[in-house]
Amino acid sequence: MIYFDNAATSWPKPPAVCAALSDYFGDAGGNPGRAGHRMSVAAARIVENAREAVAELFHANDSSRIVFTQNATHALNLALYGLLRPGDHVVTTSIEHNSVMRPLRHLETLGVELTVVACGVDGMVDLDRLHHALRSDTRLLVTTHGSNVAGTLMPVAALASFAHEQRILYLVDASQTAGAIPIDVQHLDLDLMAFTGHKGLLGPTGTGGLYIREGVALSPLIRGGTGSDSAHETQPEFLPDAYESGTLNVAGIAGLAAGVNFLSEIGIDAVKTHEQKLVAQFLAGASEIPGITLYGPRDGALRCGVVSFNVNGVTPSEVGLILDESFGICARTGLHCAPAAHRTLGTFPMGTVRFSFGWFNSPAEIDVALAALRQIGVWARSELATH
Amino acid sequence: MDGLISFFASHHAMRAEAVLKSSGWAVRLIPGPKDLSPNCGVALRFEYAQRENVLAALVAKNVRIDGVHCYRPRSDDWSVRR
Repeated sequence: MIYFDNAATSWPKPPAVCAALSDYFGDAGGNPGRAGHRMSVAAARIVENAREAVAELFHANDSSRIVFTQNATHALNLALYGLLRPGDHVVTTSIEHNSVMRPLRHLETLGVELTVVACGVDGMVDLDRLHHALRSDTRLLVTTHGSNVAGTLMPVAALASFAHEQRILYLVDASQTAGAIPIDVQHLDLDLMAFTGHKGLLGPTGTGGLYIREGVALSPLIRGGTGSDSAHETQPEFLPDAYESGTLNVAGIAGLAAGVNFLSEIGIDAVKTHEQKLVAQFLAGASEIPGITLYGPRDGALRCGVVSFNVNGVTPSEVGLILDESFGICARTGLHCAPAAHRTLGTFPMGTVRFSFGWFNSPAEIDVALAALRQIGVWARSELATH
Repeated sequence: MDGLISFFASHHAMRAEAVLKSSGWAVRLIPGPKDLSPNCGVALRFEYAQRENVLAALVAKNVRIDGVHCYRPRSDDWSVRR
Protein backbone atom coordinates (compact mmCIF):
# COMPACT_ATOMS: atom_id res chain seq x y z
CA MET A 1 0.00 0.00 0.00
CA ILE A 2 1.19 3.49 -0.83
CA TYR A 3 -0.32 6.34 1.18
CA PHE A 4 -0.45 9.63 -0.73
CA ASP A 5 -3.17 11.40 1.26
CA ASN A 6 -1.09 13.19 3.88
CA ALA A 7 -2.88 16.48 3.15
CA ALA A 8 -6.06 14.89 4.54
CA THR A 9 -4.27 13.31 7.49
CA SER A 10 -0.73 12.03 7.76
CA TRP A 11 0.02 8.33 7.91
CA PRO A 12 1.83 6.58 9.43
CA LYS A 13 2.44 8.38 12.72
CA PRO A 14 5.79 7.96 14.51
CA PRO A 15 5.64 5.06 17.03
CA ALA A 16 6.20 7.60 19.84
CA VAL A 17 2.79 9.13 19.05
CA CYS A 18 1.00 5.87 19.71
CA ALA A 19 3.11 5.31 22.84
CA ALA A 20 2.20 8.77 24.17
CA LEU A 21 -1.52 8.01 23.91
CA SER A 22 -1.00 4.71 25.67
CA ASP A 23 1.03 6.41 28.43
CA TYR A 24 -1.72 8.95 28.98
CA PHE A 25 -4.40 6.32 29.40
CA GLY A 26 -2.12 4.13 31.50
CA ASP A 27 -0.35 6.58 33.77
CA ALA A 28 -1.70 10.10 33.63
CA GLY A 29 -5.39 9.91 32.89
CA GLY A 30 -6.53 12.89 34.98
CA ASN A 31 -8.17 16.14 33.98
CA PRO A 32 -5.57 18.90 33.56
CA GLY A 33 -5.91 22.03 35.67
CA ARG A 34 -8.99 20.78 37.49
CA ALA A 35 -7.42 19.43 40.69
CA GLY A 36 -4.14 19.22 42.53
CA HIS A 37 -3.83 15.46 42.76
CA ARG A 38 -1.05 13.63 40.96
CA MET A 39 -3.14 12.38 38.03
CA SER A 40 -4.45 15.87 37.29
CA VAL A 41 -1.01 17.39 37.61
CA ALA A 42 0.45 14.73 35.31
CA ALA A 43 -2.17 15.54 32.68
CA ALA A 44 -1.53 19.28 33.05
CA ARG A 45 2.19 18.64 32.56
CA ILE A 46 1.43 16.80 29.31
CA VAL A 47 -0.63 19.73 28.01
CA GLU A 48 1.89 22.38 29.02
CA ASN A 49 4.87 20.44 27.67
CA ALA A 50 3.01 20.10 24.38
CA ARG A 51 2.28 23.83 24.36
CA GLU A 52 5.97 24.57 24.91
CA ALA A 53 6.98 22.18 22.13
CA VAL A 54 4.54 23.76 19.66
CA ALA A 55 5.59 27.30 20.66
CA GLU A 56 9.23 26.38 20.11
CA LEU A 57 8.51 24.81 16.72
CA PHE A 58 6.80 28.02 15.51
CA HIS A 59 9.26 30.33 17.33
CA ALA A 60 6.55 31.91 19.49
CA ASN A 61 8.34 33.40 22.49
CA ASP A 62 5.41 32.99 24.89
CA SER A 63 3.72 29.59 24.91
CA SER A 64 0.54 31.00 26.50
CA ARG A 65 -0.16 32.53 23.07
CA ILE A 66 -0.66 29.00 21.65
CA VAL A 67 -4.27 27.95 22.24
CA PHE A 68 -5.29 24.34 21.65
CA THR A 69 -8.36 23.63 19.51
CA GLN A 70 -9.99 20.55 17.98
CA ASN A 71 -8.45 21.19 14.56
CA ALA A 72 -7.53 23.99 12.16
CA THR A 73 -11.17 24.63 11.24
CA HIS A 74 -11.96 25.29 14.91
CA ALA A 75 -8.94 27.60 15.16
CA LEU A 76 -9.94 29.50 12.00
CA ASN A 77 -13.51 29.90 13.27
CA LEU A 78 -12.18 31.19 16.60
CA ALA A 79 -10.04 33.77 14.79
CA LEU A 80 -12.68 34.86 12.25
CA TYR A 81 -15.73 34.98 14.56
CA GLY A 82 -13.58 36.32 17.39
CA LEU A 83 -12.38 39.27 15.37
CA LEU A 84 -14.86 40.28 12.67
CA ARG A 85 -17.94 42.40 13.37
CA PRO A 86 -20.66 43.75 11.06
CA GLY A 87 -19.23 46.63 9.04
CA ASP A 88 -15.68 45.21 9.06
CA HIS A 89 -13.93 44.56 5.75
CA VAL A 90 -11.98 41.32 5.24
CA VAL A 91 -9.80 40.25 2.32
CA THR A 92 -8.99 36.69 1.27
CA THR A 93 -7.94 34.80 -1.88
CA SER A 94 -9.69 32.53 -4.34
CA ILE A 95 -7.72 29.40 -3.41
CA GLU A 96 -8.93 29.12 0.18
CA HIS A 97 -10.34 25.97 1.75
CA ASN A 98 -13.95 25.95 2.92
CA SER A 99 -12.66 26.15 6.50
CA VAL A 100 -11.98 29.80 5.65
CA MET A 101 -14.59 30.39 2.94
CA ARG A 102 -17.65 29.05 4.78
CA PRO A 103 -17.14 31.13 7.95
CA LEU A 104 -16.46 34.18 5.76
CA ARG A 105 -19.54 33.62 3.59
CA HIS A 106 -21.60 33.28 6.78
CA LEU A 107 -20.05 36.41 8.28
CA GLU A 108 -20.95 38.17 5.02
CA THR A 109 -24.64 37.48 5.73
CA LEU A 110 -24.11 39.11 9.15
CA GLY A 111 -22.83 42.33 7.58
CA VAL A 112 -19.09 41.73 7.18
CA GLU A 113 -17.82 42.96 3.80
CA LEU A 114 -15.73 40.35 1.95
CA THR A 115 -13.29 40.80 -0.93
CA VAL A 116 -11.96 37.63 -2.59
CA VAL A 117 -8.80 38.34 -4.60
CA ALA A 118 -8.54 36.10 -7.69
CA CYS A 119 -5.39 34.01 -7.98
CA GLY A 120 -3.78 32.85 -11.22
CA VAL A 121 -4.53 29.43 -12.76
CA ASP A 122 -1.51 28.02 -10.93
CA GLY A 123 -2.92 29.31 -7.63
CA MET A 124 -0.32 32.09 -7.36
CA VAL A 125 -1.63 35.31 -5.86
CA ASP A 126 -1.17 38.54 -7.83
CA LEU A 127 0.59 40.72 -5.25
CA ASP A 128 -0.47 43.99 -6.91
CA ARG A 129 -4.09 42.94 -7.03
CA LEU A 130 -4.01 41.87 -3.40
CA HIS A 131 -2.24 45.04 -2.32
CA HIS A 132 -4.97 47.11 -4.00
CA ALA A 133 -7.74 45.12 -2.31
CA LEU A 134 -6.50 46.21 1.13
CA ARG A 135 -8.26 49.38 2.30
CA SER A 136 -7.87 51.75 5.20
CA ASP A 137 -10.98 50.21 6.78
CA THR A 138 -9.89 46.58 6.22
CA ARG A 139 -9.79 44.72 9.52
CA LEU A 140 -8.25 41.42 8.44
CA LEU A 141 -6.37 39.66 5.65
CA VAL A 142 -6.67 35.88 5.73
CA THR A 143 -4.84 33.49 3.40
CA THR A 144 -3.65 29.94 3.31
CA HIS A 145 0.07 29.28 3.63
CA GLY A 146 -0.04 26.35 1.20
CA SER A 147 -2.94 25.38 -1.07
CA ASN A 148 -4.51 22.00 -0.26
CA VAL A 149 -5.36 21.56 -3.95
CA ALA A 150 -2.48 22.93 -6.03
CA GLY A 151 0.22 22.94 -3.36
CA THR A 152 0.94 26.61 -4.13
CA LEU A 153 2.82 28.40 -1.36
CA MET A 154 1.69 31.92 -0.48
CA PRO A 155 4.35 34.62 -0.04
CA VAL A 156 3.23 35.12 3.59
CA ALA A 157 6.10 37.42 4.59
CA ALA A 158 5.22 39.86 1.78
CA LEU A 159 1.51 39.65 2.62
CA ALA A 160 2.23 40.34 6.29
CA SER A 161 4.13 43.50 5.38
CA PHE A 162 1.32 44.66 3.05
CA ALA A 163 -1.21 44.13 5.84
CA HIS A 164 0.86 45.83 8.50
CA GLU A 165 1.56 48.88 6.29
CA GLN A 166 -2.13 49.63 6.78
CA ARG A 167 -2.44 48.28 10.33
CA ILE A 168 -4.48 45.31 9.09
CA LEU A 169 -4.27 42.03 11.00
CA TYR A 170 -3.05 38.96 9.11
CA LEU A 171 -4.38 35.44 9.76
CA VAL A 172 -2.59 32.49 8.13
CA ASP A 173 -4.12 29.05 7.61
CA ALA A 174 -1.12 26.74 8.03
CA SER A 175 -3.10 23.49 7.73
CA GLN A 176 -0.89 22.17 4.93
CA THR A 177 2.43 23.63 6.04
CA ALA A 178 2.75 23.31 9.82
CA GLY A 179 5.39 20.64 10.32
CA ALA A 180 6.28 20.54 6.62
CA ILE A 181 7.57 24.06 5.90
CA PRO A 182 9.56 26.05 8.50
CA ILE A 183 7.37 28.70 10.17
CA ASP A 184 8.72 31.46 12.39
CA VAL A 185 5.72 33.53 13.52
CA GLN A 186 7.96 36.34 14.76
CA HIS A 187 10.17 36.52 11.68
CA LEU A 188 7.13 36.27 9.36
CA ASP A 189 5.39 38.87 11.55
CA LEU A 190 2.09 36.94 11.76
CA ASP A 191 -0.78 38.08 13.96
CA LEU A 192 -2.77 34.85 13.96
CA MET A 193 -1.92 31.39 12.65
CA ALA A 194 -4.21 28.37 12.63
CA PHE A 195 -2.67 24.89 12.52
CA THR A 196 -3.87 21.33 12.67
CA GLY A 197 -2.17 18.59 14.67
CA HIS A 198 -2.93 15.54 12.54
CA LYS A 199 -1.29 16.45 9.22
CA GLY A 200 2.29 17.69 9.03
CA LEU A 201 2.68 17.73 12.81
CA LEU A 202 2.10 13.93 12.77
CA GLY A 203 -0.26 13.93 15.78
CA PRO A 204 -3.71 12.38 16.22
CA THR A 205 -6.93 13.77 14.75
CA GLY A 206 -8.86 16.09 17.06
CA THR A 207 -5.84 18.30 17.75
CA GLY A 208 -4.85 21.72 16.48
CA GLY A 209 -4.45 25.25 17.64
CA LEU A 210 -4.22 28.96 17.08
CA TYR A 211 -1.23 31.24 17.61
CA ILE A 212 -2.43 34.64 18.80
CA ARG A 213 0.08 37.48 18.83
CA GLU A 214 0.25 39.47 22.07
CA GLY A 215 -2.12 42.44 21.86
CA VAL A 216 -4.60 40.74 19.49
CA ALA A 217 -7.93 40.40 21.33
CA LEU A 218 -10.50 37.84 20.20
CA SER A 219 -13.96 37.16 21.53
CA PRO A 220 -14.10 33.47 22.58
CA LEU A 221 -16.04 31.05 20.36
CA ILE A 222 -17.29 29.10 23.38
CA ARG A 223 -17.33 29.85 27.11
CA GLY A 224 -17.31 27.56 30.11
CA GLY A 225 -15.20 25.84 32.72
CA THR A 226 -11.45 26.30 32.56
CA GLY A 227 -10.39 25.13 36.01
CA SER A 228 -9.22 28.67 36.70
CA ASP A 229 -10.85 31.81 38.09
CA SER A 230 -13.60 29.49 39.32
CA ALA A 231 -15.16 31.99 41.74
CA HIS A 232 -16.37 34.04 38.78
CA GLU A 233 -19.26 33.33 36.47
CA THR A 234 -17.67 35.34 33.67
CA GLN A 235 -15.09 34.01 31.23
CA PRO A 236 -11.42 34.62 32.18
CA GLU A 237 -9.63 36.99 29.82
CA PHE A 238 -6.10 35.60 30.18
CA LEU A 239 -4.56 33.12 27.75
CA PRO A 240 -4.70 30.25 27.13
CA ASP A 241 -7.74 29.75 29.38
CA ALA A 242 -9.92 32.39 27.68
CA TYR A 243 -10.15 30.16 24.59
CA GLU A 244 -9.88 26.68 26.11
CA SER A 245 -13.22 26.10 27.85
CA GLY A 246 -14.14 22.49 28.50
CA THR A 247 -11.80 19.55 29.00
CA LEU A 248 -9.06 19.44 26.39
CA ASN A 249 -8.24 16.41 24.22
CA VAL A 250 -5.35 15.48 26.53
CA ALA A 251 -4.70 12.10 24.93
CA GLY A 252 -4.55 13.72 21.50
CA ILE A 253 -2.36 16.54 22.77
CA ALA A 254 0.04 13.98 24.30
CA GLY A 255 0.32 12.41 20.84
CA LEU A 256 0.71 15.82 19.20
CA ALA A 257 3.66 16.60 21.48
CA ALA A 258 5.28 13.30 20.45
CA GLY A 259 4.79 14.20 16.78
CA VAL A 260 6.27 17.67 17.29
CA ASN A 261 9.24 16.26 19.20
CA PHE A 262 9.84 13.76 16.38
CA LEU A 263 9.87 16.64 13.87
CA SER A 264 12.12 18.80 16.03
CA GLU A 265 14.73 16.05 15.96
CA ILE A 266 14.54 15.71 12.17
CA GLY A 267 14.29 19.46 11.56
CA ILE A 268 11.51 21.00 9.47
CA ASP A 269 14.04 22.05 6.82
CA ALA A 270 14.77 18.37 6.20
CA VAL A 271 11.04 17.61 5.87
CA LYS A 272 10.60 20.46 3.40
CA THR A 273 13.59 19.33 1.32
CA HIS A 274 12.31 15.73 1.30
CA GLU A 275 8.76 16.64 0.25
CA GLN A 276 9.86 19.13 -2.40
CA LYS A 277 12.21 16.51 -3.85
CA LEU A 278 9.29 14.07 -4.12
CA VAL A 279 7.13 16.78 -5.72
CA ALA A 280 9.86 17.61 -8.25
CA GLN A 281 10.32 13.92 -9.08
CA PHE A 282 6.58 13.49 -9.57
CA LEU A 283 6.17 16.65 -11.69
CA ALA A 284 9.13 15.72 -13.92
CA GLY A 285 7.82 12.19 -14.47
CA ALA A 286 4.14 13.06 -14.87
CA SER A 287 4.78 15.91 -17.33
CA GLU A 288 6.16 13.30 -19.76
CA ILE A 289 3.07 11.08 -19.62
CA PRO A 290 0.69 11.85 -22.52
CA GLY A 291 -2.81 12.86 -21.47
CA ILE A 292 -1.91 14.00 -17.97
CA THR A 293 -2.73 17.58 -17.00
CA LEU A 294 -0.82 18.99 -14.03
CA TYR A 295 -2.04 21.91 -11.94
CA GLY A 296 -0.19 24.39 -9.78
CA PRO A 297 3.28 25.93 -10.10
CA ARG A 298 5.80 24.01 -12.20
CA ASP A 299 8.59 25.05 -9.85
CA GLY A 300 8.69 22.59 -6.94
CA ALA A 301 10.22 25.28 -4.72
CA LEU A 302 6.94 27.23 -4.90
CA ARG A 303 4.94 24.29 -3.51
CA CYS A 304 4.32 22.27 -0.41
CA GLY A 305 4.00 18.48 -0.74
CA VAL A 306 0.71 18.58 -2.65
CA VAL A 307 0.17 17.88 -6.37
CA SER A 308 -3.06 17.80 -8.37
CA PHE A 309 -3.62 16.31 -11.82
CA ASN A 310 -6.16 14.83 -14.18
CA VAL A 311 -6.02 12.09 -16.80
CA ASN A 312 -7.74 13.14 -20.03
CA GLY A 313 -10.94 11.24 -20.71
CA VAL A 314 -11.22 9.77 -17.20
CA THR A 315 -12.91 11.35 -14.21
CA PRO A 316 -10.85 11.94 -11.04
CA SER A 317 -12.98 9.45 -9.11
CA GLU A 318 -12.34 6.75 -11.74
CA VAL A 319 -8.60 7.37 -11.56
CA GLY A 320 -8.77 7.24 -7.76
CA LEU A 321 -10.65 3.95 -7.84
CA ILE A 322 -8.16 2.35 -10.24
CA LEU A 323 -5.19 3.65 -8.21
CA ASP A 324 -6.65 2.16 -5.05
CA GLU A 325 -7.98 -1.14 -6.34
CA SER A 326 -5.31 -2.04 -8.90
CA PHE A 327 -2.20 -0.37 -7.52
CA GLY A 328 -2.86 0.05 -3.78
CA ILE A 329 -2.27 3.80 -4.00
CA CYS A 330 -4.38 6.01 -1.69
CA ALA A 331 -5.16 9.33 -3.36
CA ARG A 332 -7.90 11.86 -2.78
CA THR A 333 -10.18 12.85 -5.65
CA GLY A 334 -12.79 15.52 -6.23
CA LEU A 335 -13.04 19.04 -4.86
CA HIS A 336 -11.02 18.67 -1.62
CA CYS A 337 -13.44 20.98 0.28
CA ALA A 338 -12.15 23.90 -1.79
CA PRO A 339 -14.59 24.80 -4.60
CA ALA A 340 -13.12 28.29 -4.98
CA ALA A 341 -9.66 26.83 -5.52
CA HIS A 342 -11.00 24.54 -8.25
CA ARG A 343 -12.77 27.46 -9.97
CA THR A 344 -9.38 29.20 -9.90
CA LEU A 345 -7.59 26.22 -11.45
CA GLY A 346 -10.40 25.64 -13.98
CA THR A 347 -11.21 22.21 -12.56
CA PHE A 348 -14.67 22.93 -11.10
CA PRO A 349 -16.95 20.97 -10.67
CA MET A 350 -15.15 17.72 -11.53
CA GLY A 351 -12.10 18.37 -9.40
CA THR A 352 -8.72 16.68 -9.61
CA VAL A 353 -6.76 13.68 -8.39
CA ARG A 354 -4.53 14.77 -5.52
CA PHE A 355 -1.34 13.17 -4.25
CA SER A 356 0.02 14.62 -1.02
CA PHE A 357 3.39 13.44 0.19
CA GLY A 358 4.82 13.22 3.67
CA TRP A 359 8.01 12.44 5.54
CA PHE A 360 7.42 8.69 5.31
CA ASN A 361 7.01 8.58 1.52
CA SER A 362 9.94 7.57 -0.68
CA PRO A 363 11.20 8.20 -4.24
CA ALA A 364 10.53 4.51 -4.99
CA GLU A 365 6.84 5.08 -4.21
CA ILE A 366 6.76 8.01 -6.65
CA ASP A 367 8.21 5.70 -9.33
CA VAL A 368 5.47 3.12 -8.66
CA ALA A 369 2.80 5.85 -8.94
CA LEU A 370 4.28 7.19 -12.19
CA ALA A 371 4.29 3.68 -13.68
CA ALA A 372 0.64 3.28 -12.64
CA LEU A 373 -0.27 6.60 -14.26
CA ARG A 374 1.48 5.55 -17.49
CA GLN A 375 -0.73 2.44 -17.59
CA ILE A 376 -3.87 4.40 -16.77
CA GLY A 377 -2.91 6.93 -19.48
CA VAL A 378 -2.60 4.17 -22.10
CA TRP A 379 -5.97 2.76 -21.07
CA ALA A 380 -7.58 6.22 -21.12
CA ARG A 381 -6.34 6.88 -24.65
CA SER A 382 -7.70 3.55 -25.88
CA GLU A 383 -11.03 4.31 -24.17
CA LEU A 384 -11.14 7.70 -25.88
CA ALA A 385 -10.33 6.11 -29.24
CA THR A 386 -13.04 3.47 -29.03
CA HIS A 387 -15.89 5.60 -27.62
CA MET B 1 8.49 24.55 52.60
CA ASP B 2 6.70 27.55 54.07
CA GLY B 3 5.90 29.57 50.96
CA LEU B 4 3.14 29.21 48.40
CA ILE B 5 2.56 30.77 44.98
CA SER B 6 -0.95 30.83 43.63
CA PHE B 7 -1.74 31.19 39.92
CA PHE B 8 -4.62 32.25 37.70
CA ALA B 9 -4.17 29.33 35.33
CA SER B 10 -2.62 25.89 35.45
CA HIS B 11 -0.61 26.88 32.34
CA HIS B 12 1.42 29.24 34.53
CA ALA B 13 1.59 26.83 37.49
CA MET B 14 3.11 24.16 35.26
CA ARG B 15 5.55 26.59 33.69
CA ALA B 16 6.56 27.89 37.13
CA GLU B 17 7.28 24.36 38.31
CA ALA B 18 9.38 23.65 35.20
CA VAL B 19 11.30 26.95 35.41
CA LEU B 20 12.10 26.63 39.13
CA LYS B 21 12.92 22.92 39.05
CA SER B 22 15.34 23.46 36.18
CA SER B 23 17.08 26.14 38.29
CA GLY B 24 17.48 23.64 41.12
CA TRP B 25 14.91 25.02 43.57
CA ALA B 26 12.84 22.66 45.70
CA VAL B 27 9.20 23.18 44.74
CA ARG B 28 6.05 21.08 44.91
CA LEU B 29 2.64 21.39 43.29
CA ILE B 30 -0.30 20.98 45.68
CA PRO B 31 -4.04 21.52 45.40
CA GLY B 32 -4.63 25.28 45.59
CA PRO B 33 -5.84 26.20 49.12
CA LYS B 34 -9.20 27.86 48.62
CA ASP B 35 -8.72 29.98 51.76
CA LEU B 36 -5.83 31.76 49.98
CA SER B 37 -7.06 31.99 46.41
CA PRO B 38 -10.12 30.70 44.61
CA ASN B 39 -8.38 30.96 41.28
CA CYS B 40 -6.36 27.90 40.51
CA GLY B 41 -6.52 24.15 40.81
CA VAL B 42 -2.86 23.91 41.76
CA ALA B 43 -0.42 26.07 43.69
CA LEU B 44 3.34 25.77 44.12
CA ARG B 45 5.06 25.33 47.48
CA PHE B 46 8.54 26.80 47.87
CA GLU B 47 10.92 28.23 50.48
CA TYR B 48 9.53 31.62 51.41
CA ALA B 49 13.00 32.94 52.22
CA GLN B 50 13.87 32.47 48.52
CA ARG B 51 10.96 34.55 47.31
CA GLU B 52 12.95 37.37 45.71
CA ASN B 53 15.10 35.04 43.61
CA VAL B 54 12.16 32.81 42.79
CA LEU B 55 9.96 35.68 41.65
CA ALA B 56 12.76 37.16 39.56
CA ALA B 57 13.20 33.80 37.80
CA LEU B 58 9.46 33.65 37.05
CA VAL B 59 9.33 37.22 35.75
CA ALA B 60 12.30 36.49 33.50
CA LYS B 61 10.36 33.61 31.91
CA ASN B 62 7.05 35.53 31.59
CA VAL B 63 5.30 33.30 34.13
CA ARG B 64 2.35 35.16 35.61
CA ILE B 65 1.33 34.58 39.21
CA ASP B 66 -1.72 35.40 41.31
CA GLY B 67 -0.02 35.89 44.68
CA VAL B 68 2.80 34.91 47.03
CA HIS B 69 1.89 33.68 50.48
CA CYS B 70 3.67 32.63 53.63
CA TYR B 71 1.75 29.42 54.05
CA ARG B 72 2.14 25.96 55.49
CA PRO B 73 -0.83 23.64 54.98
CA ARG B 74 -2.21 22.17 58.21
CA SER B 75 -1.92 18.79 56.56
CA ASP B 76 1.87 18.98 57.17
CA ASP B 77 1.06 18.00 60.77
CA TRP B 78 -0.82 14.92 59.61
CA SER B 79 2.15 12.58 59.41
CA VAL B 80 3.70 14.02 62.60
CA ARG B 81 0.54 13.46 64.64
CA ARG B 82 0.16 9.90 63.39
